[in-house]
Amino acid sequence: MSERVLSVIAGLLAALVLGLALFWQPEVTERPLPRAAMPEGGDFTLHSAAGPVALGDFRGKVVLLYFGYTYCPDICPTSLAATAEALKQLNPDELARVAVILVSVDPKRDTPARLKEYAEFFHPAIVGVTGTPEELAAVAKRYGVFYAEQKVATAGDGYVVDHSADTYVVAADGKLVGRIAHATPPDQVAAIIRKHLYPP
Amino acid sequence: MKQRSILVAGLLFSAGVLAGAADNVSVQDPYVRLAPPNAPATGAFMVIRNNGDKDVKVVKADNPVSKVTELHTHVNEGGVMKMRPVPAIEIKAKGEAVLKPGSLHVMMIDLKSPMKEGDTVPITLTFDDGSSTRVDARVVRTTAAPAATEPRQP
Repeated sequence: MSERVLSVIAGLLAALVLGLALFWQPEVTERPLPRAAMPEGGDFTLHSAAGPVALGDFRGKVVLLYFGYTYCPDICPTSLAATAEALKQLNPDELARVAVILVSVDPKRDTPARLKEYAEFFHPAIVGVTGTPEELAAVAKRYGVFYAEQKVATAGDGYVVDHSADTYVVAADGKLVGRIAHATPPDQVAAIIRKHLYPP
Repeated sequence: MKQRSILVAGLLFSAGVLAGAADNVSVQDPYVRLAPPNAPATGAFMVIRNNGDKDVKVVKADNPVSKVTELHTHVNEGGVMKMRPVPAIEIKAKGEAVLKPGSLHVMMIDLKSPMKEGDTVPITLTFDDGSSTRVDARVVRTTAAPAATEPRQP
């Protein structure tokens, strides 16, 4: 094969790669949970600066749940900022039908008072809650959330918390219906929220 | 005459010492994520480019805003994010290291005082040969599209 043909093929491949990079936007970023693998989810009560917060308080609203911690310098702010941007894309009527709960899985460091300011920095509609280790473990188990304190050689008290970085979607009837992957762009988060606000 | 040659030799020597990895490194789009209130830590992100012919490593970072500065990365294991300190960030010859959300970052721990949007944080990167470079990173309130992943301005 002549060099000319090879370079044409190389050029076509490069154009294909570039085209994919520029234009290929997979539609589905919300991971549909297979029925069998669907965690049961369900009601829980945890504690905010303003008192107890129960998932049941938000019946009739689409609820986004995020499990994180304030020592998290990057992953949690990225997820919460994307959610906050998505909330800003909703109209006031839609926004009134959405709730966002940040559950801290680091109760040793995160008090409800600390969480309030932290959560509201992203969006005033985000409620920060936490609980005892036992309460958190029970909620995490029912939602299929993984978190674990890891001792590492870091100055932040010598531990970090590994945690699931998905955002969990609870429908207006209180059922866990899906997860939004970490780093999903705000437009897509807004689209997912709307999908559940206007069920078919 | 002898003294002068010692002086010249001394100057040449110090130039040789100063000419290290830092001279071949350029840093683009540095920024610090504005820490939410009560967040004890935040991250700094940037693209570190090595224009030299030898691989270099960033072995240390420093800044005056936090009590501790570490080099960290994230590992995503099946949707579980694991943040871990790394001993060094390697930049291959003619290559670059991209410090970005969800990946490598300069971890600023125990902030001495709350930071404001628009502040500048001088970050010193020290390389494996002992040379260092200073990067002025602006404090940015990041939305979901952090500066480092936006298309660069021509």
